[in-house]
Amino acid sequence: MTNVRKVYRMGDTDVVALDHAELTVASDEIVALVGPSGSGKTTLCSIAGGILSATDGSVVVGDEEITGYSDKQLTRFRQNRVGFVFQSVNLVPFLTARENLLVVDELGRRQGRPARERADRLLDELGLADRAKNLPSQLSGGQKQRVAIGRALMNEPSLVLFDEPTSALDTKLGIQVMELIRSEMKSRGTAAIVVTHDERITEYCDRTVHIIDGVLAA
Amino acid sequence: MFLALKEMARAKTRFGLLIAAIGMLVFLILFQQSLQNGLLTSFVGAIRNQSAPVLVYSVDGQRVIQGSVITPDLEQQVRADPDVGQAGRIGQGTFTTEVSSGERFDATVLGYESVDLGAPETLTSGRYPEAPGEAVGSEADADSGFGIGDMVTIQPGGYALTIVGLAQDVQLNAGPTLFTVYDDYVAAVRSVNPDALDPLPNVLAVAPAAGVTDAELVASVNAISADLDALTRADAADNTPGVSQVRQSFNVIFLLYGLVIPCVTGLFFLIITFQKSGSLTLLHAIGAPAGRLVSSLLIQAVLIISAGYLIGLAIYTPISQRRLGGIPLRFETNAVIFWAIMLMVLGIGSSLLSARRVLAIDPIEATTGGGNQ
Repeated sequence: MTNVRKVYRMGDTDVVALDHAELTVASDEIVALVGPSGSGKTTLCSIAGGILSATDGSVVVGDEEITGYSDKQLTRFRQNRVGFVFQSVNLVPFLTARENLLVVDELGRRQGRPARERADRLLDELGLADRAKNLPSQLSGGQKQRVAIGRALMNEPSLVLFDEPTSALDTKLGIQVMELIRSEMKSRGTAAIVVTHDERITEYCDRTVHIIDGVLAA
Repeated sequence: MFLALKEMARAKTRFGLLIAAIGMLVFLILFQQSLQNGLLTSFVGAIRNQSAPVLVYSVDGQRVIQGSVITPDLEQQVRADPDVGQAGRIGQGTFTTEVSSGERFDATVLGYESVDLGAPETLTSGRYPEAPGEAVGSEADADSGFGIGDMVTIQPGGYALTIVGLAQDVQLNAGPTLFTVYDDYVAAVRSVNPDALDPLPNVLAVAPAAGVTDAELVASVNAISADLDALTRADAADNTPGVSQVRQSFNVIFLLYGLVIPCVTGLFFLIITFQKSGSLTLLHAIGAPAGRLVSSLLIQAVLIISAGYLIGLAIYTPISQRRLGGIPLRFETNAVIFWAIMLMVLGIGSSLLSARRVLAIDPIEATTGGGNQ
């Protein structure tokens, strides 16, 4: 991410949500992005994941320069190159745990059998093999987060973005989830940005980047 | 397809109720379509399905056969019209009749001079009258003592008519209807009232001369006298008092159904789109093209309307073979096709409101939880 700015127009005034952000994440690095509410964490993550477009600057994920992408191109980019674990809604309630993973394949290239095998393997790795046919309403908070992690890994992404992944969990479950995130990212050599305002999470990350009022500080 | 079918499979009650509601509405529409057609046919089928291409009423008759009287002078003028190829008298009377079981019915007797000018156009069984005292009956009343071989007696007076043929959809005024030669009609009138003079014909059945169209004949006859009111067979049926009012009333009902179905479907999809907006936002954020989400919605709309339609059709089909009071119902193939297309268009159209909402989803809402609101 080079010299990235995001400016929102609010009535007659411009609000700078991200100001000349410079951030490079290595291919197997886990970066904690820490900052208070409204500091620009989610904006930075959204730009890195192709959910938002930057006003200025350049964003490259893997070998793909996404600056200037159209909505359609950004949708395809999110489908193929990025994994997301959001803070609030993470699973589709009318799909089982396994189907929540398979939906990624359905929306994309539709590999069929290899995708089904991959979903089963991921659920097994995440300790959810016996919960594959359960609906989200039948899963605990920790299990739901693990399914969301599995879904984020289904498309073999270059980058996974975690937005407050432990905020809805108690301390013990939060630690378990962070340990899982770390082991999954490291075993795959996948880059990750973990957005948090909880300093305890940072010990599971390789590096911590602070953000205040849209400005990054190492 | 994956998302559409999975969601329907997991919310069977919700989608099942909508399908049942649409099925019920479809049944009501098709049933009322049959009822409308059955009702109109039982009222004016004898006019619509008789053989004369043009009927000439007296203006005073206000397009009611029994109320119309053609005076000798008017009859002579019509017969003298060079555009008239053939002309024949038609007389109509309503009589109390007694069937062989002793049961009595009010029946209409229509007398014609020529089979080509006022008899039923086609028979479903039997033959046309060949001898005095023979009649063709309306098939719908065959089981009530008006079947082939049955003898019907005009009361009082006791003039007997034997049914020798049956024709479909030839009732007049929703009751048993008998077609006889004109002399039998006159005999029936006289048997009831021996002191009556020869009755005047009620209408004239006319066919155009060679090279003259029905419409030209109508114009030509109407130009003869302001007292004459010529109508083609179809117009005579449609302009019978009450027909357009019945049709109009049913059309209002159909219009209401046509509004209710898209409202039900549209509101249903709008509600579930709001309810699952969190999921839709999530799917869009992880890379689902908006078009894919919309197509999932439209697939559901098509499946629900199709299933509802099939259920409605399944209920309608056996009921459409029955009679409702004296009104014979019939499976209306054209209505079934028309409403299938109409409801599919309306259903999909109404779900486009939800599609618009889906297209407006901003994936950024997934990061704020806004999709849940």
